[in-house]
Amino acid sequence: MDERCKALWEKLSAALKPQVSADTFKRWFSAVELTKATDDELTFHVPNNIYQFWIESNHMTALQSAITDAVGAPRTVRFLTAESDDDNDFSAPEARKTNGSGHSKTVGLGLSLNPRNTFESFVVGPNNQIAHAACLAVAQAPARTYNPLFIYGGVGLGKTHLMQAIGQYLWAKKKTSKVMYLSSELFINEFIDAIQHNTLVKFRKRYRQADLLLIDDIQFLAGKERSQEEFFHTFNTLFDGHKQIVLSSDRPASEIANLEHRLVSRFEWGLTAELQPPDIETRLAILRKKARALEIKLHDDVYQFLATRIRSNVRRLEGALMRVASFASLSGKELTQETIEHLLKDILLEERRQTVTIEQIQRKVAEHFDVRLADMTSKRRPASIAFPRQVAMYLARELTKASLNEIGDAFGGRDHGTVLHACKLVKKRMHEQDNIRQTISFIDSALQR
Amino acid sequence: MKFSATKEKLLEGLQQVQNVVSTRTTLPILSNVLLQAKEGAVHLTTTDLDVGVRGSFEANVDKTGATTLPARRLFTIIRELPSSEISVEVDGKNAASIRSGQSFFKILGLPEEEFPPLPKFENAKVVTMRQKDLHDGLRKTAYAISTDETRYVLNGVLFSFKENKLTLVATDGRRLAMLDIELEFPRSHEADIIVPTKAVTELQRLLKDDGEVKISVGSGQIAFDLNNTLLVSKLIEGNYPNYKQVIPSEAKERVTLERETFLNSLRRVSLLASDKSNSIKLNFSKNNIEITANTPEVGEAKESLPVAYKGRDFSIAFNPEFLMAPLRNLTEDEVFFDLIDEMSPGVLKIQTPFLYVLMPMRVSS
Repeated sequence: MDERCKALWEKLSAALKPQVSADTFKRWFSAVELTKATDDELTFHVPNNIYQFWIESNHMTALQSAITDAVGAPRTVRFLTAESDDDNDFSAPEARKTNGSGHSKTVGLGLSLNPRNTFESFVVGPNNQIAHAACLAVAQAPARTYNPLFIYGGVGLGKTHLMQAIGQYLWAKKKTSKVMYLSSELFINEFIDAIQHNTLVKFRKRYRQADLLLIDDIQFLAGKERSQEEFFHTFNTLFDGHKQIVLSSDRPASEIANLEHRLVSRFEWGLTAELQPPDIETRLAILRKKARALEIKLHDDVYQFLATRIRSNVRRLEGALMRVASFASLSGKELTQETIEHLLKDILLEERRQTVTIEQIQRKVAEHFDVRLADMTSKRRPASIAFPRQVAMYLARELTKASLNEIGDAFGGRDHGTVLHACKLVKKRMHEQDNIRQTISFIDSALQR
Repeated sequence: MKFSATKEKLLEGLQQVQNVVSTRTTLPILSNVLLQAKEGAVHLTTTDLDVGVRGSFEANVDKTGATTLPARRLFTIIRELPSSEISVEVDGKNAASIRSGQSFFKILGLPEEEFPPLPKFENAKVVTMRQKDLHDGLRKTAYAISTDETRYVLNGVLFSFKENKLTLVATDGRRLAMLDIELEFPRSHEADIIVPTKAVTELQRLLKDDGEVKISVGSGQIAFDLNNTLLVSKLIEGNYPNYKQVIPSEAKERVTLERETFLNSLRRVSLLASDKSNSIKLNFSKNNIEITANTPEVGEAKESLPVAYKGRDFSIAFNPEFLMAPLRNLTEDEVFFDLIDEMSPGVLKIQTPFLYVLMPMRVSS
């Protein structure tokens, strides 16, 4: 207790004594120490939690009025117990330990936030640096810098994680702040419910009181006109009241079809941050972090393999890791490349579909049949070139999501009929001739590696 | 699995366990009850992963086996069945056919393997006591449990095993109820544990006035074995506050009150205590307590209670609900009310080791 606090505490005690009985003062306040005094907060050190509970429940009015007497204005009062120094008062809510029946609510802050989704557990890479920095800035100083904050990116890239991290950060810092996290679908449902039961006023009040509104998957508002209107007003109320709004979507605001222009323009008002698929280093870092969190130990090659092969989606990456790890711990077998490939058959297959491009196919086919890449798009059509070209078209049809027209365009502006014919022809010849089928499946698997 | 039983036995069995059934829908299996048909009886188990209960009922078991069925649904069906003889048959796919008189029901269950097993108690410290004592002790303390989830260590009853005494404590920061039960156990069994509210509520329903209860304390969990029923619960982790700090040392005034008379007077007067201030005042004067309540713009109530009192005149205000709660749960005819002054806590006592500390409310005089 430094000199200043000591002097302040003496003043406080003098103001407190007439308000409580002598016995109460001796019993509850003689053991209290004032350890920190700032312009808006006083921190008191008490021997154990019964002091905090009892003073908070019974002597708060007396204490507050003593504070007002001593320093001229009310202050936020904080208690620190010897036991809780490193426990519940400062740390995030998940540090609270209990098995009590009502416990789950405390962890979820009563707002369905996953306690695992924090800034600490988020792996930052070049792909999400800006989004992460923006979210952190928002969490540290809500409604100051970026309002609204609009995060977008594909599935499983961390939108929800970042949003929940903001919510938890803010909540951990200030328990009284009203954080609302919900998906736009829930917003719509509650809105419909409110219309049905004629409780619109209650509905509005609920959302318009939030200090921080986090709405996930805002793209689902598309096409729901009345919900959009309701949201528009909620948005304005919060924005005008200097409350922070954070939105997430799977695409930029301007690309959400059937979304009113006034909403689009509002969404683009603050900061828009994109989340991109992670690069290989980030993927490795994510795997290692996740493995550490789950206390999994795997060989370095396994991480390398997973990071190289699964590129598009962090959620899938984590799922693959879980699968490999549980297989390893359940079977106790050595993990070879083959077993992993077998284990993750479906995931890897799905990955390939997305990553093979028409250009890659053309290159591989040209290489295999020993023709020039230019022949793939040229008008020349001797059998030695035409057939490889048809094979490439067939593979493009099978392995990519491109339409017939797109494939035609990629092969030197050919007609969709030509592509269709090529596919039919190749299929027929595959059926008839074993060696052709083998060749094609060889190219196919080479492409997918 | 196949058995038949009377409606009463079946209902009784289900009633013992069905309150625990989880309302959380995340794990469907938790809304089911585990039925295990053994020789002459069917055992029932439910759990919400925090608290679990196992009971049983007598039945004619034709074929042993086990399955799980939706607890609430099963209960409502059994309750509505017209005849007293009920037969239940479960096929290999966990579909149960229930027959009674002209009625037939088929409900679908889940395999027993999915049901989470109740925790095992190995190397647990075991203490045995009379069910009546524990029942009585919980009844006299449990109402003071805090419902404030941020003070999670207070969301339960403290069981303090010390010096051949079991002390039960519950507090919410404004009041505290405490009771001692004499009990013999080895020194090594001394421990302070916090049993969560849900387990306490269930336990109060299960405890009877005769027989014994075997309490096993394991690490982080507790089991209460009531001969044919078993309740297990996780414990609340953390340190229970040092409640002794709350208890006032010496009393200046003591009044002896007839519990029921006092309670009835309080109840009548509290009808006019406002929701907002929610306080009633006790005005002490020679051989009289005047109980008053008034709410501006509503009205006021007043009632006199003759008592033996020779101290100074003074007034003290309490939350009526908090003052009535112990009076409702005590069984004694006489209670002692110890007071110091209008700002210090009042203490209710009875002949046996029990006390209830209640903070007064501030009144603008």
